[in-house]
Amino acid sequence: MFRIIKKSLSTGVVTGHYPAVKSPSEPVSREAIEKAKPFRRSLTIREVDTGSCNACEMEMNALTNSIYDVERFGVHIAASPRHTDALVVTGPVTVNMERALKDVYKQTADPKIVIALGDCAINCGVFKGSYAVTGPVERHIPVDVRIAGCPPRPAEILAVLDMLRGARTEADK
Amino acid sequence: MPDGQTAVARVQEAFPQTVMQVGSMHGVPMLRLHKQDVPAVARYIHTDPQVLGSLSLLWAVDHRPREARYELCYLFTLAERKDWLLLSSDLAGGEREFASITPVVHAAKWYEREIRDLFGLIPVGHPDMRRLVRHEHWPKGSHPLKKDFVWDQVLERVQGEYAYRKMHGDGVFEIPVGPIHAGVIESGHFRLSVAGEPILQLEVRHFWKHRGVEKLFEQQRLTEAVPLAERVSGDTSVGHSVAYCQAVETLLGMTVPPRARYLRSLFLELERLHNHIGDVGAICNDTAYALAHAHCGRLKEQLMQLNDRLTGSRFLRGVNRVGGVVLDLSGPQLSQVDAELHAIEREFVEIETILFANASLTERLENTGVLSEHTAWDHAVMGVVGRASGVDRDLRRDRPFAAYHECQPKVAVYRYGDVRARMRVRLDEVHDSIRLIHTLRRQLPTGPVVALSVDPPTPGQWAISAVEGWRGEILYVVMAGEEGRIHRCKVRDPSFVHWPAIQWAAVGNIVPDFPLINKSFNLSYAGNDL
Ligand code: SF4
Repeated sequence: MFRIIKKSLSTGVVTGHYPAVKSPSEPVSREAIEKAKPFRRSLTIREVDTGSCNACEMEMNALTNSIYDVERFGVHIAASPRHTDALVVTGPVTVNMERALKDVYKQTADPKIVIALGDCAINCGVFKGSYAVTGPVERHIPVDVRIAGCPPRPAEILAVLDMLRGARTEADK
Repeated sequence: MPDGQTAVARVQEAFPQTVMQVGSMHGVPMLRLHKQDVPAVARYIHTDPQVLGSLSLLWAVDHRPREARYELCYLFTLAERKDWLLLSSDLAGGEREFASITPVVHAAKWYEREIRDLFGLIPVGHPDMRRLVRHEHWPKGSHPLKKDFVWDQVLERVQGEYAYRKMHGDGVFEIPVGPIHAGVIESGHFRLSVAGEPILQLEVRHFWKHRGVEKLFEQQRLTEAVPLAERVSGDTSVGHSVAYCQAVETLLGMTVPPRARYLRSLFLELERLHNHIGDVGAICNDTAYALAHAHCGRLKEQLMQLNDRLTGSRFLRGVNRVGGVVLDLSGPQLSQVDAELHAIEREFVEIETILFANASLTERLENTGVLSEHTAWDHAVMGVVGRASGVDRDLRRDRPFAAYHECQPKVAVYRYGDVRARMRVRLDEVHDSIRLIHTLRRQLPTGPVVALSVDPPTPGQWAISAVEGWRGEILYVVMAGEEGRIHRCKVRDPSFVHWPAIQWAAVGNIVPDFPLINKSFNLSYAGNDL
């Protein structure tokens, strides 16, 4: 026990200690921010992988570590689409995942937001054109927010979530 | 135990009539056989106590348009693990059937189903003829790796149902999990048959994420496909790109400069470090030990930020290229690596002490998810999972590549095959990785980091490359096509071998331990599904 307390004390607070990143290449649209209003700055997210290379998932997971700690902003990751405000979709949509993606979208209660995370979700990335890929997320379900990058850094994801939650955007200032 | 050449002689002796031709490709001894003789020879290699070959890879090639034949290749790793032995046989003309070796070499099971799906060739005598990669809604006759299959066609959707293996009996229930999971995890399906808490059977059904990676390789030039290799399995960007580059370099006869070889090893170890530390944390998290998870998550993040500072990518993407590396590290950068790793090791030791002082953690890990040595051998398991089940294999020692013959990695082997053993292997490897990085840095030679390019290879030439990634053995077979293009690229992530094995590790455990077992394997879905 003593060891544990000592370790915690010597580590101190690490949350928020990460290098600054450039502002997102595509700002969050006004419509998306409007749509997020009912959630009152707290967002519950469900992540759906439709064929990623798994680096995008790793960065989503990194959001929950003690350095980024999204929970401090009221952003939770939910276990079921039924508890969700926003779907975060990663990867190009594969032939085998197309049905599951549409199902999940239907299972998510309205109002809902769809965030395409990573270049693959936005434009299929290096997998573009393949027989096994049926096109970007947008082709199957309406997308409200796009976070570019391969993969986007956690801090970049955080910046977009900030905008979406109605933390002030450049346009508002 | 024999080396490759002695094994070849033994096989010839045992089968004087059947071996058609003996040859070698880039140093790999190769036996050509009639297709009907393959099962007998494979059985001999697999079971003869003097040879004991474990099936490392089984792949097919469609040689059209140059030649109207399919070729099946069986790569065995001999018990001494120093040598490979390759069997190959042809399906000429319109032949579509070949004799399955699964009844005698269990590890061939998924490979043969994969070949059936992707090439439309039929493994006669295979005990499980269900589809693997092509889910049931794919139309009949769509076999993507046949040369006459157009890579960017749109597939129609047909009706069809996958038949899960059913268990019957009083009180037997099925728990379907996935393809979309509760955590932030990749997509895949698990079907658990349970009676109360104990798991009677686990069936893994994957390939939801099949993106057609191997076909996409065939659309690229040999020297330009590195970004695709980096995206086969994102957490293993370095492992896959090094494996791909090495295969192409062998094909092009390039000699990678020493400094580049050292840097590759260094990047591979950095990748191993952040993944292993993350996994240790994740295993703790699945036993609800949040404190250890938080500390490990913090160290992992520190390492990823270090990667970012060194290379501009948290996943070390964009460092490899055919012929060497893109990025050279400067003296100050290397000192930074040294300093940071010293700090991380100091912390990691403290965390380890905390972990093993916690009986409620170790109690959850012991005897959970046991993969016996025997089952591991039958499935040709290697890597972290294999070493935790007594399989003493590590390519860094057995077939040294990059700079590993100059820095002697220590191989961590445990016998119990439970979650604890898999965690132990990772803990040991974390320390050894740090030691290796310090050694590599001390011995780092000066000089260029890229080899000059040479003439394009002859179409039809191929090369195999093997890299010990942080999960295990990553294999690439690259065959040159016309005008510097890729004719065929077989990709094998260790996950493809370990997914069938996890089905056995789960049996007899209770349902709440399944996520823990799964975490202790930590397999890639993307690398498996391709
Ligand atoms: S965007 Fe990049 S990192 Fe994300 S899934 Fe696609 S290839 Fe992987």
